[in-house]
Amino acid sequence: MHTELTIETPHQRQNRHKAMEAISVLNALKEDFKSPIRSMGYFYDLFEKVYCRHEPLHEGKAKIGTMCIQIPSEIIYALEGIPIRLCNGFYTDDEIGSDLLPQKSCPLVKATVGWFASDNFSDKPDITFSPTTCDQKTKAGAIIGSFGHTVIDVGFPRTKESEESRHYWRESVKSFAVKLSKFQGKKLTKSNLESAIKKVGYAQSLYHKLTEFRKAKAVPILGVDMFLVTNAFFFDKIDEWIGAVEKLLAELEQRVNDGVNVAGKASPRIVYTGSPPIFPNYKIPLIIEESDAIIVADETCSSNRMFNDMVAVDEWNLYDMIDSVSDKYLKACTCPIFTQNDDRIRRIIQLVHTYKGDGVIYQAFAGCQVYEMEQRSVLAAMEREGIPILYIESDYSPSQHGQLTTRVEAFVESLKNRKRMKK
Amino acid sequence: MRYFAGIDIGSTAIKISIVDENKNLIGHKISASGSMFYKYAQETLSELLRELKIDESEVVYTVATGYGRKLFKEADENVSEITANAIGAQQSAKSYGEIKTIINIGGQDSKAISLDTEGNVVNFAMNDRCAAGTGKFLDVVAMNLEIGVDELSEYHFKSTGTPLSISSTCAVFAESEIIGLLGNNHSVEDIVSGVHYSIAKRIVKLVKRVGVKENVYFDGGPALNRGLVSAIENELGHKIFVPSYPQITTSYGAAVLACDAYVCNIESE
Repeated sequence: MHTELTIETPHQRQNRHKAMEAISVLNALKEDFKSPIRSMGYFYDLFEKVYCRHEPLHEGKAKIGTMCIQIPSEIIYALEGIPIRLCNGFYTDDEIGSDLLPQKSCPLVKATVGWFASDNFSDKPDITFSPTTCDQKTKAGAIIGSFGHTVIDVGFPRTKESEESRHYWRESVKSFAVKLSKFQGKKLTKSNLESAIKKVGYAQSLYHKLTEFRKAKAVPILGVDMFLVTNAFFFDKIDEWIGAVEKLLAELEQRVNDGVNVAGKASPRIVYTGSPPIFPNYKIPLIIEESDAIIVADETCSSNRMFNDMVAVDEWNLYDMIDSVSDKYLKACTCPIFTQNDDRIRRIIQLVHTYKGDGVIYQAFAGCQVYEMEQRSVLAAMEREGIPILYIESDYSPSQHGQLTTRVEAFVESLKNRKRMKK
Repeated sequence: MRYFAGIDIGSTAIKISIVDENKNLIGHKISASGSMFYKYAQETLSELLRELKIDESEVVYTVATGYGRKLFKEADENVSEITANAIGAQQSAKSYGEIKTIINIGGQDSKAISLDTEGNVVNFAMNDRCAAGTGKFLDVVAMNLEIGVDELSEYHFKSTGTPLSISSTCAVFAESEIIGLLGNNHSVEDIVSGVHYSIAKRIVKLVKRVGVKENVYFDGGPALNRGLVSAIENELGHKIFVPSYPQITTSYGAAVLACDAYVCNIESE
C-alpha cells in the first residue's frame, strides 16, 4: 500500500510561496511587538483571507485595476466599479516578473508584471487603467497588455507647475471617465460622483484622525500596522474598511487615555520616505521598529501620499467636480517622477516638524531610478535643516537582512545618542 | 576587581576584549566564527578568562556586537558594530590624536564612519551586500593565486610593473578576471597589487560619501595587510593610522561601552 502523492500545479506552488511570505510578515506583526491592538485583527484576517487563503472579496463585481495613485477612485466608485490597486509587494511575483523585464528593473514593477504573468488573483481585475507615471510602470502596462489583459494608458504629465499640464491631465481624466463609463455601461452623474467624493473623503478623514494619534509623545500604534491599514485600502471593500478604521480609532482613543506607548521612552521617532512599503514587503519598516525606533509618519504612495490631500470642490457641478478630482491627483502628488519636485522636500520637512521626528529614513528600491536620483537633493535639504537622514537601497529579496539591520540599528543608536546629548 | 567584556561576533571571526574599570585593555582573544557562533563565542570567552585568571563572576557587564550579537544571550546589552567600532577606535587611538574618520574592512562588509568632535557617529556608509572589497575577497584572491593571505603584503611590495586593473565589483566575477590575468601571463605580484588598489578605490569611494576628515583610522582584519594599507593611503592621499591589533577595535569598543553602561546604571540607582 502506498498513498498516491500529487505534485502541486504551478499555480498551487505560487500560491503556497505567496502564503508563506504573507504569513511570516503577519506573524511578525502579531507576535513580535508588545501591546497588540485588538482591532488590528480585522486587518490581519483580511490579508490572510486574500493572500494566504486566496479568497475573493468582490465576486460578481466589476474590478477596475489601477496603477500608482493617480487613477481617481472617486470616479470608479461613482460608476459602480471596485478599484483594485495592482502595485505589488510579493517576492514570489518579483521572481516571476524577472523573466520578463530587464534584471535591473524596480522590484515593484517586476512583481506587478509577475502577478499578471502568473494569473494568480483572488480578485482579478476586468480592465486596468495605467497612468503614464514612470517609464517602468508605463512600459509594464504594455507588457501586461501583451498577456491579453486590457490595459488603457491614462496620459499623465511629468511637470505639475504649468497650466498646460493641468489642462492635459484634466482632459486625461475626462477621457478616462468616458472610457470607464462605456465599459461599465453606466453614466457618470452629478449625484453618483458627489456621493463617491464624499465617501472617499470620509475614508481619508479617518486616516487623518489616525495620524493625529501619532503626533503624541506616547504613540499608540506602530508604523507597520499603519502601513497594513493603508495597504488594505488598495483592495478592501470600502465600507468595511471604514467600519474597521472607526473601531481602530475608538480603541486607539482608549489607549491614549490609558497612556499606552508601543515604543520605548527613548525610542527615536522616524519619518519614512521613498519607495512604498507594500504588503508583504515590510522589510525596512519591520527592521526599523524591531530596532527600537518608531515610524511616526511617512511620505510614500502606499500611505500618506495616497491619503494626504483631499478633493476640494467649489461648486458641486459635474465638470467642476471632475476638475477638482483631477487637480487633487496632480497638484498634490509628490511623486519623484515630477521634475521640479520641491513639494516633496517641503512635505518631508513639514512631517518631521509636525510629528516631532528625530530622523528620516529614505528607502529606494534598487532599480527605481527616480527615487535613487532624488536621493541627493533630499539628503542635501535635510542636511541644511539639520535633520539626520539614512539612505538605504533595498529590494524584495529576503537576503541582505544582516547589513540592513546593522545600518538601521547604527542610525537609531546615533539618534538616541543625539537625544541624550540634547538633554 | 570588576571587569567588562566586549564580544564581537563577526562573519569570519569572534573577537573578545576585556577591560578593567579604567577602560584599560586587559586581554583579548580571536577565534574563527565557524558554524556555531554562539558555542564558539562562549568557549572563546571561557578560555580568555582562564588565561587571564579572571573568575566569570568578576565580569560584571557584557556587551555583544557584530552580526551574531543577538545569539549571545548572556550579554547584558547589544549594540551595532558601527557604534562599537567608533568607541573602540577613539579609545585605542587616544595617543595618536582625535579620530574623525574610520575605515573598517571586515569579513563580509566594509564601512566608512564619520565622527564629530565629541566622537559621536554622524554619518556612515556600508558596501551593498556583495563581498567585493572585503576580507572574504582577499581570501578568494589568495586561494586563486595559491599564496597565503598573510603573504599578500609581501607580494604587493614586490610588484615592479603597473598594478593591474581589476574592474569587477563582484568577488565571483573578480575571480574569473584574475584567472584571465594569469592566463595572460601577468605576474602574481602585479595582480596582488592590482587587487589591493581595486579594493582601495572602492573603499575611498565609500569614505568620500561620508566625507574625509583627518585623522583617518583603519581597522578590521585586512588592516594587517600593509600592502592594502599603502594602497588606501595612496588613493586617499592621506596617512592613515592602523592600531596594533586592528581586529579587536570593535570588541574593545563594546567592552568600553559595557564599562560605561555599568557605571551609568550604578550612578542612576
